[in-house]
Amino acid sequence: MNPGRTDMRMPSAAFIAGLAALAIALAALPLGAEVVVQCPPDTDGIDTDGDGDPDNDVVCVHSAAGDGFINMADGRLQYIFGFSDVTGVPPEMVMHMGMLAAEFPAPTIVVREGQRLYLTLTNVGMMMRPDLFDPHTIHWHGFPEAAPIFDGEPFASISINMGSSLTYFYNVVEPGTYMYHCHVEAVEHMQMGMLGNLYVLPIQNNLPDGTDLNGFAHHTGNRYVYNDGDGSTFYDVEYALQLSGFYPEFHDANMNVQPLPFAAIDDRYPMINGRGYPETIDPDPLPNTETGALTRKISSLVTATKGQKVLLRLSNLSTDRFYTVSVLGIPMRVVGMCAKILRGPDGKDLSYVTTSVNIGGGESYDVILDTSAVPAGTYVLYCTNLNELSNDTEDFGGMMTEIRID
Amino acid sequence: MNARYAGPVRSAALAAAILSLGCGPAAAMIDGVIGSSFTFTAKEGSISAGDGQSIYCWGYANGNGLMQYPGPTMIVSQGSAVTVALANELPEPVSIVFPGQGPVTARGGRPGLLAREAPPGGRCEYTFTAHRPGTYIYHSGTRPELQVEMGLVGALIVRPAGFDTAKPRAYEHPGSAYEDEFLYLLTEMDPVIHEHALKGTLDRIDTTAYWPVYWFINGRNAPDTMLGAGVPWLPHQPYNCMPMGHPGDRMLFRFIGGGRDLHPLHTHGNHTLLIARDGRMLESVPGVSGPDLAVQMFTVTVAPGATYDAVFRWTGAKLGWDIYGHAPGDPMEPGEYAPDHGKPFPVVLPDAKDLAFGPQYSGSQFLGGQGLLPPGEGGFNPTAGFFYMSHSHNEKEMTNNDIFPGGMMTMVLIDRPGAMGPMMQAAEKGGN
Repeated sequence: MNPGRTDMRMPSAAFIAGLAALAIALAALPLGAEVVVQCPPDTDGIDTDGDGDPDNDVVCVHSAAGDGFINMADGRLQYIFGFSDVTGVPPEMVMHMGMLAAEFPAPTIVVREGQRLYLTLTNVGMMMRPDLFDPHTIHWHGFPEAAPIFDGEPFASISINMGSSLTYFYNVVEPGTYMYHCHVEAVEHMQMGMLGNLYVLPIQNNLPDGTDLNGFAHHTGNRYVYNDGDGSTFYDVEYALQLSGFYPEFHDANMNVQPLPFAAIDDRYPMINGRGYPETIDPDPLPNTETGALTRKISSLVTATKGQKVLLRLSNLSTDRFYTVSVLGIPMRVVGMCAKILRGPDGKDLSYVTTSVNIGGGESYDVILDTSAVPAGTYVLYCTNLNELSNDTEDFGGMMTEIRID
Repeated sequence: MNARYAGPVRSAALAAAILSLGCGPAAAMIDGVIGSSFTFTAKEGSISAGDGQSIYCWGYANGNGLMQYPGPTMIVSQGSAVTVALANELPEPVSIVFPGQGPVTARGGRPGLLAREAPPGGRCEYTFTAHRPGTYIYHSGTRPELQVEMGLVGALIVRPAGFDTAKPRAYEHPGSAYEDEFLYLLTEMDPVIHEHALKGTLDRIDTTAYWPVYWFINGRNAPDTMLGAGVPWLPHQPYNCMPMGHPGDRMLFRFIGGGRDLHPLHTHGNHTLLIARDGRMLESVPGVSGPDLAVQMFTVTVAPGATYDAVFRWTGAKLGWDIYGHAPGDPMEPGEYAPDHGKPFPVVLPDAKDLAFGPQYSGSQFLGGQGLLPPGEGGFNPTAGFFYMSHSHNEKEMTNNDIFPGGMMTMVLIDRPGAMGPMMQAAEKGGN
């Protein structure tokens, strides 16, 4: 996660309403609720992530779940639920820092195979909805051999109430492109924006310099999508691009304490990493007009130098549809799917080259673009469901971004 | 407090759970009609949606039985000559098409666009040889854009030659072996169409304005998917979808896209290994290599008219803690992942008053562990198994006409080795 915090500007009406809500919410908290971060030291003396250091295999992240605001590419303000990164924030400050700080998408989580992730989730409450007492969870979508206690699916497990913290534990053993989201009242919390990128780097990245990978020479700093054993998933630069959409009436109804239109959900703001074109290509974090906080931090602009291999970690967390995306002018080599290298059980290479990838909700694909055979310039990644190239009624926007090769 | 609780089993909750989960046989084998000669009657009836709404439907009945949704699951043997006699009690012609089978010979009735049809009050008969094992769909070939929506759809399973119920396989190759099998026939409905059909205003149906608000697995919306098969209060929806097994079991999920939309079916707990599509194993040398082109997926795109055979297997390996909460000296469970044996649970769980509890949470983080829960919490997990949701990840489809939760969702139960829930016991005894 990006540990950077953002400053709030002058308090707005929403902010003041939020403070009032906080007062109500805190008054409603059960005795004993408290922010607790569990982050034990790595004392096993074993180097499980393969970087040569036996004492650095534990990684701790602290995420706050609450509410906030973002703007759409056409300027429309949307109320959201979401996560913000409070890693390292003193516990007594977490409620304050997490309040109205939800980001969309959620802060990206990147871990390495062999690490043990202690992911603490603190529920800071929904400041704009003091009538809600929703618990939250984190569902690491696709985690292999998951146990219910850390799966975040609330029917079979536990969820954390307002003002308290739950620490999830993951023994990270399978590299690949996953995603995460809150699973409580999943349709509502996901449509409202509790979605984020999550991926795991393979231990093959940490091989000693000069290791022979079946004829491919590994060098320190090389990165691969999977433990391929032959360098076939090598890449130079990587971008996680998460597809999603908002149905604005749902967000407005939630803000205004109205019945939620589940059946009517029909997303009209298609986005990549929480942005519709042209905001997708803005390299900077973007503020919202309600609190002024930078609540859309992740750009979707892809840049590379000619000759580089570009990894796109594509995932879809839409609540209502499939998207097909295409890169105009650069062949797309699909090397992974659902956080698994595209190989058969006996190792047969099942990777393929294509010009379009169809992605359903909860699906992920690893796509490598080889820029060595194409001229420098600007290329476009766009949704070939052409109706998705709009920001609501504003034409020419939506699910599109640029790949700039210089 | 993160110790393993040894609390009492709450008998009231247990009774509730049995009532809710286990009135009928839970199938290690898919429920259906086994044989080679079938008599179906297309007739009307009303199903019960997950929100209690009654929806007027047309469906295939087995013989002179009740209209059912979906139609009877036909279970036949590879190589057998299959005959389906269709009688029609509906006000318009109906038929059956068998995608993936062929050639299909039809007799009687009258010619139709996709198949010979049984006119209202009439009959026709279809015959084909089930050449290939696998999972297939059947549905009406007459005005299918309306009639499949109305409910005239079902599953066809062809057992491979030499099928042995003690060592079942989806195909002849041992790479398709499994312990338990479960059907996921995925459909959706727009009740407006059904209202027009009920009122006799079929001419006012506009399929371009199609807007489904109910999503089904085997003809039921969640939470009814988790009820027993054949519960008496769902007479037109005899099939459930409540996969149950033990750690290490190969659980074959047969996914079918039975409606008109794509559905991304996500399995919690683990990936599935996709071994076949449309009745053909994913293999490089057909009939020889076995599923060497199989892929692991945590979400399977189930397309309309397509079928998928995927093996779900959960062992709890490599979690970094002992899923049974063993002390290092405790005996091993069958199939337990040895390197994690006796490893302590890695975090301290919050106090109960800081938590919300799910109905299928046993009160303990351990497989087979029972724990204390606040009054009114939990209670739907009498054997303290691990429950894993499987659902459409177009999350909107987890609703019943504007009500969450529901829709295209169910739970998969992994029980502790040796544990046998009331549902499994019912299955062992052979039904309700």
